[in-house]
Amino acid sequence: MKVIALDARSEPVVDDLARRRWNGAAFFTAADLVSDAKRLREAIDAADLVVMVATAGGHSPAVALIGEACSRRRVTTTGLIVCDEETSDEALSETLGRLRPWMLMLVVANSRDYIENMLLALRA
Amino acid sequence: MLRKEQNDLLTHTGPGTPMGQLFRRYWLPVLLAEELPEHECPPVRVKLLSERLLAWRDTQGRYGLTDEFCAHRGVSLWFGRNEDNGLRCAYHGWKYDHTGQCVEMPSEPAESRFCEKIKLASYPLVERGGVLWAYLGPPELQPPLPEWEFATVPADRRFVSKRLQESNWLQALEGAIDSSHVSFLHRGELNTDPLFKGSRGNQYNLDDARPVFEVVESPGGLYIGARRNAEQGNYYWRVTQWVMPCFTMIPPRADHPVHGHFFVPIDDEQCWTWSFDYKVMRSLAPQEVQSMRAGKGIHVACAPGTFRPLANKDNDYLMDRAAQKRGETFSGVHGFGMQDASVQESMGPVVDRTKENLVSTDNGIIMARHRLLRSVRAMVENDVTPPGLDPAHQRCRSASVVLPPDQPFKDAAKSALVVQDNREHITV
Repeated sequence: MKVIALDARSEPVVDDLARRRWNGAAFFTAADLVSDAKRLREAIDAADLVVMVATAGGHSPAVALIGEACSRRRVTTTGLIVCDEETSDEALSETLGRLRPWMLMLVVANSRDYIENMLLALRA
Repeated sequence: MLRKEQNDLLTHTGPGTPMGQLFRRYWLPVLLAEELPEHECPPVRVKLLSERLLAWRDTQGRYGLTDEFCAHRGVSLWFGRNEDNGLRCAYHGWKYDHTGQCVEMPSEPAESRFCEKIKLASYPLVERGGVLWAYLGPPELQPPLPEWEFATVPADRRFVSKRLQESNWLQALEGAIDSSHVSFLHRGELNTDPLFKGSRGNQYNLDDARPVFEVVESPGGLYIGARRNAEQGNYYWRVTQWVMPCFTMIPPRADHPVHGHFFVPIDDEQCWTWSFDYKVMRSLAPQEVQSMRAGKGIHVACAPGTFRPLANKDNDYLMDRAAQKRGETFSGVHGFGMQDASVQESMGPVVDRTKENLVSTDNGIIMARHRLLRSVRAMVENDVTPPGLDPAHQRCRSASVVLPPDQPFKDAAKSALVVQDNREHITV
């Protein structure tokens, strides 16, 4: 499983998760992958599931590139959008709209601890 | 997967357990009102959250939900005499009123006032929408009466049934929020069951067995949106509601009545699966009610005089391999309700979730567990009121709708997901 932070605000969340022990899950930032095509290809080729983490209203231009790469290699994708009390409906809708074409599962969570729980539930 | 301690926490609902404490904050459906049809009718044994209770109506018609056992020697008061505003133990004649207060001890000296010191545990029991609801929590935290829409429509617009399910409540709940099983387990009867057939949505279900899901936290629980391809690039959305802890509403099909469930723990290895159907603006047609009574749709035919399904684990759910081969049913079990019950009960009374292998399409289940765990923790540690108690959380609806591809169901179907007075559900 590969876990990718799609925007700047989700990077510390994923970075924090990367410091824990997992059953093989690997963690990236979109910025790292889109600047290194070989690394992106290798990451996705080795994945059975790619989890992309975004924050509502965050700037995530890489989602199409990563999503398309997953689609070409028929890798399952899950998008996780983290909201907080200040998230506006417009910001959430915009992020949902951007992620939707590339995700087979989308989750809108009100707390960032859901990401860890989901990864544990999936034996990441 | 869940760790063992998490699985235990979610599945144990007896007195003193954290999940039991959470369940005790809600009004829970306990009996059909018809089970206590008249004043001084026979009492009914009720086991709820592992507590053994007795439901009864006194001479004035007042409902009582009291400890099943006499405080004297522990005899079941089910054998008691319901007479003159009280329930009298058949053993030594101790008599209790509908609040559980002992009012007579005929075996004691006439001047004794000992009975004033004896009171059985008792809980509020109220009728609403043809259902008797109980509240087992602290009196000072008793919430407003249930506001579920099916319970507020006129009696001729709803049908409610219940059946015994021989599994822990969480297995039953997780089945109800797992939308992807519909295209498999239930595919044989989508177009033949009288309470499902004729909906354009059925064809979308059957044509696209790989729905795309969106799981969104709602104020009371979750919206679980399942997206399938429709015509001209549009999407067919089915949005299921889960409201904490144990209510689900299934998206509607065409003009059929809308349905849903409660899954109420009897103890840790059994639950009541409550099933309701209703329409907002019209009476249920006689043939619809007849179908529901016959166990069609989400309802189940039970052994006469009981709430145990005729098809059950002792007869392998009347498995029909020939019908399975012919494609009439996917699993060989007939009826939506028993198809669900058979697979859920087959997992054992309490499934060991440390062994499961969830996939990303199980995010509805993962999120429901997450919210339950988070809410239990917040309630126990910080006295935070759990979701689903606010009447606004209960005034919710499911929906089925075709939307353009760029519209999130959460926004486009926003008004469809809450009760709209004098308007039916949005449906395809």
